[in-house]
Amino acid sequence: MDILHHIFYGLGVALQPVNLLFCFIGVLIGTLVGVLPGLGPVAAISLLLPATFRAPPVASIIMLSGIYYGAMYGGSTTSILINIPGEAASVVTCFDGYQMARRGRAGPALGIAAFASFIAGTLAVVGLAFMAPPLAAMALKFGPPEYFSLMVLGLTVLTFLAGGSMLKSLMMACFGVVIGNVGLDLITARPRFTFGLDILLDGVGLVPVVMGLFGISEVLLNVEEKLSERKIFKTEFKGLLPNLQDWKESIWPILRGSGLGFFLGILPGGGAVISSFVSYGVEKKLSKHPEEFGKGAIAGVAGPEAANNSATAGAFIPLLTLGLPSNAVMAILLGALMIYNMPPGPRLIISHPNLFWGVISSMYIGNLMLLVLNLPLIGVWVKILKVPYPILFPLILLFCLIGAYSLNNNPAEIGLMLIFGVLGYLMKKFKYDGAPLVLAMVLGPLMDNSLRQSLLMSGGSGMIFFTRPICLIIFGIVAIILLLPIFPLIGHFRKKMAESKESQ
Amino acid sequence: MRNTDRSSGLFWLVVGIGIAIGSLKYGFGTLHEPGPGFITFFAGAMLALLSLSLFFSSLRDQKDRSGFQSLWAGLDPGKILYVIFLLVAYTFLLKPVGFLISTFFLLFLLFRIKGTYRLKSVFLMSLLVTVGSYIVFEIWLKAQLPKGVLGF
Repeated sequence: MDILHHIFYGLGVALQPVNLLFCFIGVLIGTLVGVLPGLGPVAAISLLLPATFRAPPVASIIMLSGIYYGAMYGGSTTSILINIPGEAASVVTCFDGYQMARRGRAGPALGIAAFASFIAGTLAVVGLAFMAPPLAAMALKFGPPEYFSLMVLGLTVLTFLAGGSMLKSLMMACFGVVIGNVGLDLITARPRFTFGLDILLDGVGLVPVVMGLFGISEVLLNVEEKLSERKIFKTEFKGLLPNLQDWKESIWPILRGSGLGFFLGILPGGGAVISSFVSYGVEKKLSKHPEEFGKGAIAGVAGPEAANNSATAGAFIPLLTLGLPSNAVMAILLGALMIYNMPPGPRLIISHPNLFWGVISSMYIGNLMLLVLNLPLIGVWVKILKVPYPILFPLILLFCLIGAYSLNNNPAEIGLMLIFGVLGYLMKKFKYDGAPLVLAMVLGPLMDNSLRQSLLMSGGSGMIFFTRPICLIIFGIVAIILLLPIFPLIGHFRKKMAESKESQ
Repeated sequence: MRNTDRSSGLFWLVVGIGIAIGSLKYGFGTLHEPGPGFITFFAGAMLALLSLSLFFSSLRDQKDRSGFQSLWAGLDPGKILYVIFLLVAYTFLLKPVGFLISTFFLLFLLFRIKGTYRLKSVFLMSLLVTVGSYIVFEIWLKAQLPKGVLGF
């Protein structure tokens, strides 16, 4: 068994003391930011990125991934106890988790959330180990035109799935491509859109942009709210372990949620968020007691919690096999791998097996740590929840300020972060999504490169994207996705035309 | 400009056109040999086209007449401006004044924005967090924070 051999090799890497330590720090911080509202995994990872530059690369990636899936655990705690999702993927957990808590069953709700996450995380890691190598082998045959079309597909799927207006998401993706291409052009060595500023010659930094869009803007939105007390449910945490009946009701939702989440997680754009919603819908449909949903059905906690956790593992597949990020967190990890001089892509598994298998195995160990961290220590997390926002938000701002400054010891990075903070605040006000911007920003230079290489290959003919079979298929899918929103519109017009004819 | 989509659509339209024109200046190149402004031209032009269609689709929506004010209804936008002002001031003062002093004053003012704590506890909290973050970032993580007038 080749896979088993690889997994044992990976476990060997992940169990090295330094990697174990970093994994623990990662899941600890992840749970913390998951519990704290107003600081999500995206902001936390970009905040810690500069601090990892001096640490060993494998350990750093293990820690950063730990923050990501750890946040999914922590987010469910706040959903269940105070009806406020710690981050977007736990919104669904509020529906039934909070109701369970109100009925005095906060313990089993928290317990099943943790167990569901653990089971799903474990299954997804196994799926990752099986699926990634063959995909990478296939991707080795891809040339620049295939990569370019894949990136276009990725951005299109993202804007389609991101929720909200697809038009606005596409606009943000276009803007992101431009932001990503600010700085010296690698081929001609001429500056683009730098406005004579030295800080922009190397391009707009990902960390200040992400901390601005996802950290500062969130604080600003909260600061303008009129003061409101967050009520924490006073409940005894006796009996965190779900009983046999709970397990009976949850086991199939957990397994279904794991599968659903994993495959939805591979798709670009909000995998964890969408999969939790889809899982909730599926469980409600399949349940013998759909009327229980929204009133404290344990299946409504177990399914979505499993789905959002396995989606985080699925999201690693496009990054580790194709080198293409599928969400904002993966985009930051891509940036990190570039800085560590381990460019992700189909060759990563062969050239850096310790990174690939080590990170995958560490996710398994990390899930185990999370189980231990979250169940017995739930009281500690509840205490942290009680830190009032007037004290919390200056601390979040301070972390962002120090994080941005210490990138290059340059206050100009803080300025850049503040600009994107205000932009992000306004974008949220006017209902624009930040995720397509960040993803397009990371893909921007790669798209520029592969597009120009493709055109050089074809001698200046755009037809190269339609004569290669893989490109043709991919662009066909892109066209269908872009046209999907138009079909209801056509139907609408036909109805209107028919109506006006009748009235004549 | 009643509708919020209409105004934001116009804003991005101007940005998109600006980017497209700017890209031409950097060099569009030819299809055989695309220049530095090639991809940004297309991105900018697409941004402009999409904004235009957002603008026109917002014209059709006659029901939504909510203006800018509705976005800030019942909120406290003055606090936002104050926080932004503090952060900008911090950015400019960080290097010359130094991390310890500027951070202490920033926190002292920030803690009072939403809280109703006594001056003494705000003072202590700010001091504690400033020293704590100095220990973590400067001494442990060796972040080389600006020394400023204090010299350390």
